[in-house]
Amino acid sequence: MELYKFLPQTNCKKCGKPTCMAFALDLLKRKVKIKECTPLVEEDKYKEKLEKLKELVGDEEGEEKELRINVNEDDCDGCGICVTVCPVNARYCYSTLSGKAPEYPPDSHQLFVVKKGKCELLALEHCRRIAAEGRERECRVCETYCPREAIKIEYV
Amino acid sequence: MEKITCTGCSLLCDDIIVKKDGSNIEEIIGACLKGVERFEMISSKHRVLKPYIRDGDSLEEIDWDTALNKVVELINKSNNPLLYGFSNTTCEAQLKAIELAREINGFIDSNSTICQGKALNVAKETGFTTSTLTEVINKSDVMILWGFNAVESIPRLLNKILFSRGKFRMTGREIKTIIILDPIKTDSFNVMGPRDIALLIEPDKDIELIETLKEICCTENALPSNEVAGLDKDDFKRLQTNLTNSEYISIFVGQGLLKNQEGKNPLKSLFELIDIINERNKKGRASIILAGGHFNMMGFEHVALSNTGQNQSLSFNNHQLIESQETIISKIENKDFDLSIILGTDPISHLPMRLSKKLASKPIILIDNSRSGTYLIADLILPTSISGLETDGTAIRLDNVPIKLKKVIDAPQNLLSDEDLLNKIIEKLREKREGI
Ligand code: SF4
Ligand code: SF4
Ligand code: SF4
Ligand code: SF4
Repeated sequence: MELYKFLPQTNCKKCGKPTCMAFALDLLKRKVKIKECTPLVEEDKYKEKLEKLKELVGDEEGEEKELRINVNEDDCDGCGICVTVCPVNARYCYSTLSGKAPEYPPDSHQLFVVKKGKCELLALEHCRRIAAEGRERECRVCETYCPREAIKIEYV
Repeated sequence: MEKITCTGCSLLCDDIIVKKDGSNIEEIIGACLKGVERFEMISSKHRVLKPYIRDGDSLEEIDWDTALNKVVELINKSNNPLLYGFSNTTCEAQLKAIELAREINGFIDSNSTICQGKALNVAKETGFTTSTLTEVINKSDVMILWGFNAVESIPRLLNKILFSRGKFRMTGREIKTIIILDPIKTDSFNVMGPRDIALLIEPDKDIELIETLKEICCTENALPSNEVAGLDKDDFKRLQTNLTNSEYISIFVGQGLLKNQEGKNPLKSLFELIDIINERNKKGRASIILAGGHFNMMGFEHVALSNTGQNQSLSFNNHQLIESQETIISKIENKDFDLSIILGTDPISHLPMRLSKKLASKPIILIDNSRSGTYLIADLILPTSISGLETDGTAIRLDNVPIKLKKVIDAPQNLLSDEDLLNKIIEKLREKREGI
């Protein structure tokens, strides 16, 4: 359980949950917000954990942090791995199932396209980090598998 | 908008979409950077558009008639011509090149001889199990890159084989394992997930690993007592388990295994290992795919084999193929030639200094479309159109599947294709011979 790792793990119950694990589960289901774990937010020693957790959970309601997927043009060599591996592309662009480039013009859901040998981001709003529920929202396979380490998922 | 085949490398991706505006390519969708660079050759500032003849240190532009007459003159003066290159052109042009070699009693070889061709020569003795990419995509659960940096040489290969969701591998990346064996950590290592295996083996020790695997890989619980090629027992065990318990293993072999190690040929041992695995592994099969560079390197092997019965290093005398142990390297090394005709390659830059000096010591006719190291010293330069972009044709993909190439735009200045130019040279030579 990824999120649990970044909680204080003291089971202090200040959040109103019996254990940190329970809190983590609710966090995943988006029933609670990070700031409800007051020790995590207030105590300095948890600063790093807090940062990491915020990154993992992504944008919560009432927070204005916005998802950015940055593709570094200088590093990208157009291998198309992000295009194939992105689960949204896999659902809407049939040809990516066999590793081929998607049809053109792109489907309105298609997230990435390789043009002139460089990857371009098309429709961020369909990214699972915004449009999906639960665990699926933790998707970051494009960043993980880019061989040139050209993709960075960020919240700004 | 058109769907075309990319000739940037031997993967020959046939899913590239181009948008044209008259004779200008406006948009290229789907091709990797390497492929796009090939498209950019069309309007590159290094492009050669006119025939040239060398006059001392400078090149002089000549017209096509003069150029062709000069070719005929140089060829007729030569008793021992060498023809080299032909892996960056269509199968049709390769066929013409062999016809030309036969016509002028020359020695012809392709770049493959010092690359993939070496592996095929080994395969002639041992045989080898191979697969097509479609099989790899649909069935393979374990992929091994052995001495082969896929990300660098065939950028879209991993996309196709590892990230695709084949018929029997619907969940895609999650149920495919990749194992990379290489002495250095290349960019290809970045596609690894938690279940994948990165094996940094000691340089030139592949043979040790393969030989050990041959001995014990199919014996249960047998492990080597020491490190093998820098791999500890755990690494060895994981490799062994994958080799013997997988359903469909595809091994992609690169340049790393072409050199002899400890006096033995690592490829030969690898082919033997695969045979052993296939014989004893009841669950599945293993196969090997040779990963080459130039887009039609495989083509020459196929064309030569079907045309003459021999796949490379063809020597002609009296318009007949004769037996010979020579290769392009030995011919150059012994200066056993008096003229070279080079097509679509740049040996002066790529061969070791010692050899390129020898090659440069005799007249060179260069057929190519852009300036290169060889261009700078060639005696006669004949430009042609770019195969696969300005001419149609056929090429053989790395997995031995023939792929159609589609012409995208017209060649500038009515440049002939390699095939047509070679044909013209042959016709001219015959006219001359028959005294017309
Ligand atoms: S407030 Fe934080 S530390 Fe306390 S139990 Fe809840 S999650 Fe754990
Ligand atoms: S995976 Fe990385 S290198 Fe490949 S196309 Fe996407 S961004 Fe570019
Ligand atoms: S995070 Fe997942 S859904 Fe979003 S773009 Fe990357 S691969 Fe696609
Ligand atoms: S992988 Fe090779 S064939 Fe495919 S687009 Fe890139 S250069 Fe062209």
